[in-house]
Amino acid sequence: MMARTGGSPLLVIEGLSKTFGTLRAVQNLNLSVADGEILGIIGPNGAGKTTTVNLMAGAFKPTSGRVLFDGHDVTGFPPHRLAAQGLVRTFQSTTVYGTQTVRENCRRGAFLHLFPGFFPALVPTARARALRAEVETEIDRLLDWLGLAEFAESEARNLPYGVQKTLGMAIALAARPRLVMLDEPVAGMSAEETDHVRDTIKRIRGAGISAIVIDHNMRFISGLCDRVLVLHHGEELAIGTPGEVMAQPAVIEAYLGKGHAKAGRP
Amino acid sequence: MNFTDLLTPVLFGQILLDGLSVSSIYILIALGFTLLFGIMRVVNFAHGEFAMLGGFALYCLWGQFKLPFIVAVPLAGLVVAAGSLVLEQTVFRFFYQKMFQSMIGLLGLSTVMMYSAMILWGEQERQIPPAFTDTLEFGASLFGENLLLPVDRLVMFGISLTTLAAFYLLIMHTRIGLAMRAAAEDVEVAEAMGIRTRVVYRQAFAVAIFMTAIAGALYGQIYFLSFQMGDQPLLKAFIVVILGGMGSIPGAALGGLILGMGEVFLSTLFGPSVSNFVSFGGVIAILICRPWGLLGKPE
Amino acid sequence: MKPRSPPVLLLAGGLAGVLFLVLWPLAWRSDFILYIATLVLQFSIGACSLQLIIRTGHISLSHAAFAGIGGYASVLLVKSAGWPWHFALIGAILAPAAFAALIGPVLLRLSGKYFVLVTFLFGELMRFVATDWQGLTGGSNGIFEIPKPYPAMRDPLNYYWLSLGFSVVCVGLCVRIMRSEIGRAMDAMRESEKLTECAGVPAFRIKVLIFVIACGLAGVQGSLNAHMNNVITPGNFGPLESLNLVVMNVIGGMTNMGGALLGTVFLVALPELLRGYVEWQRVIYGVILIVVMAFLPGGLVELWGRLRGLVTGEAVRGTAVVTDET
Repeated sequence: MMARTGGSPLLVIEGLSKTFGTLRAVQNLNLSVADGEILGIIGPNGAGKTTTVNLMAGAFKPTSGRVLFDGHDVTGFPPHRLAAQGLVRTFQSTTVYGTQTVRENCRRGAFLHLFPGFFPALVPTARARALRAEVETEIDRLLDWLGLAEFAESEARNLPYGVQKTLGMAIALAARPRLVMLDEPVAGMSAEETDHVRDTIKRIRGAGISAIVIDHNMRFISGLCDRVLVLHHGEELAIGTPGEVMAQPAVIEAYLGKGHAKAGRP
Repeated sequence: MNFTDLLTPVLFGQILLDGLSVSSIYILIALGFTLLFGIMRVVNFAHGEFAMLGGFALYCLWGQFKLPFIVAVPLAGLVVAAGSLVLEQTVFRFFYQKMFQSMIGLLGLSTVMMYSAMILWGEQERQIPPAFTDTLEFGASLFGENLLLPVDRLVMFGISLTTLAAFYLLIMHTRIGLAMRAAAEDVEVAEAMGIRTRVVYRQAFAVAIFMTAIAGALYGQIYFLSFQMGDQPLLKAFIVVILGGMGSIPGAALGGLILGMGEVFLSTLFGPSVSNFVSFGGVIAILICRPWGLLGKPE
Repeated sequence: MKPRSPPVLLLAGGLAGVLFLVLWPLAWRSDFILYIATLVLQFSIGACSLQLIIRTGHISLSHAAFAGIGGYASVLLVKSAGWPWHFALIGAILAPAAFAALIGPVLLRLSGKYFVLVTFLFGELMRFVATDWQGLTGGSNGIFEIPKPYPAMRDPLNYYWLSLGFSVVCVGLCVRIMRSEIGRAMDAMRESEKLTECAGVPAFRIKVLIFVIACGLAGVQGSLNAHMNNVITPGNFGPLESLNLVVMNVIGGMTNMGGALLGTVFLVALPELLRGYVEWQRVIYGVILIVVMAFLPGGLVELWGRLRGLVTGEAVRGTAVVTDET
């Protein structure tokens, strides 16, 4: 598989580091994600995967380094400003609004496209109605696309785990991002559900949305991503196509090592 | 204003003495409050009313039945604590481990208790007769002027100090105390270790109310006694506990000392409004910058 | 959650209700009932504006203090500065709003339970300031002989209509906010703030704005109330008054403006009707509060849901806002 590095990079990370007290969670990370690329970030627990996402997604500010999105410096932007730029993430847990219907969950995700500004929002205009109607059709399309249509009016907390995870993605997609960051989208899923999610992410890319996928399941990542970044102790251990990365002895030793045989079986 | 003129050594000594006796009462009230919060996670907005009950109990036992003062005060605490177990059964246990519901529900309990007291005992303010009227004078050789120490205050200080010591022994050196500490640390773990939380809760409740009632009795004697007197003890408990850290026992001790000393110091030198204003402002500032208090643990 | 009722129906129902409220005193005039109705209308402003704050996930125990600030501002501007009431009213809105804008950005960073504690202390502090700043506020006796907004307002019926007008505008604004995209965002951030922020919602900014607006609206209640009673005292500031406003919302289930209105009627009218039994009335009030918080933290709305659940055999899960997760 070839990395699609032809387009200009959508996301660029330069020398990103984060320390908590004395713990160096992420060290000097450099990375770029091209438009339309699916990048995997992989590494054992505690390798700094989630910290990396949190740094890119504005949950906390990096100790040093820069994050550039579409050519703009977005380092330390709060999540809502990143979302406005087109960078949206999902979470490992608390991924949905449990008390609401699937459809309402998506509406809440589509805030950016429904909200005309604080005071204009108070005046019911024809434009606002048109916006709502447009978002409703968009949501219909999205639900169809992700196979959630049959659950549209169910309360999210009553849904099976795998469907909730998919709904988490739907909420993120409702914001119409240019890049989604998916934090362990298949954690705790059955093999069948995992395949479904993999197909879904591929189709997301088909719609022109780039993705960063974080997981520790090598099989899932290698079957999905154009390139893979292997993290170890907060540092880049290797980066390249799944084939290249898996061939590197350092990766095999550090991550796949002897645990690999066991990791394959859930 | 020239502070060195104002703050003579004798005044300083007097402030220290008064501050200590006020602090000891505040610590007693706050310990009860912090115990309820630390173990059961209830914010006892009815705390002041238990102090009020202590005041009325002392009024009966000492003012009317003429029991010896030294007996009447602990007995007042016991009577209120025992009686309050009814409230533990009927009200408090529904709010254990539900902090938000407890705040509003127990504000409800506070009005119930306050206005029941009004129905029972009327609206007028009463005075608990003083136990001792003598005043000790000493320290002339040290300060050049005598320090005044009402025996009354000395006895109160002795009583609250004894209660605090007893509480310390209970918490640190008995099985009951151990169970309480375990429950305060982590209820689920404590349960897994075979601690019967229902029993621990009831014991902690009784201990907390006992201390509060004693403090309330002393408080009522210093100031006045009425169905509305609970406001002040509650506020003090609040301020002390937030200063020291919600649920922290050493924090309550430290906070009580700071508030008691600070209040006496500021109100002697600058008047009560300044002292009130500073204690409020200080606590709000602490809540904003360091919500878990001086000795508490951040979540 | 049930789907939002269509705006046309809501509008029609609201109009019919307002029309009824305007006209009934013409058909049947009772000054006592009129007085209670006026009070209810004034408190509906406080209760509904407080709900705005609650819906962002923060329960404020100092809302009455903000109403008090508005009240004092209005009274002082009329009595000391000699302003006509309609200008003073603007002051009564701006003063608490400005104050909220000052402290809101600090307070709203606190998590739910600490916010409750700070606002409780804040209410006490306000009452304390009002008592102590005698030169301005007249101390614990308050300010007397407050003139009516306009001479015509000496007639209780006119004052009722005035209160009705402001109530409709203010409550209407609250309802409008909750039914707009802002309301959707507020409900969302109460459930999960980080998820909401990722959808592009500037959660903190919305919270502060809502806090400022709500406190400004509370000032309207303060002004209307002070000029009706002819007197304003620090008692108007206390946390117990604020609690009353919270309880109006608790009864209504906290996430429903209609519920807040119902709670207002309940909590304002009941005490007035039971006058002369003040102590008993407070005791009953306390007992209700305990029972509701212990067994029905979702308020009457939850009770309704449970009753319906009994009939349909459907299990209903609590929808309480006041839980430890907030």
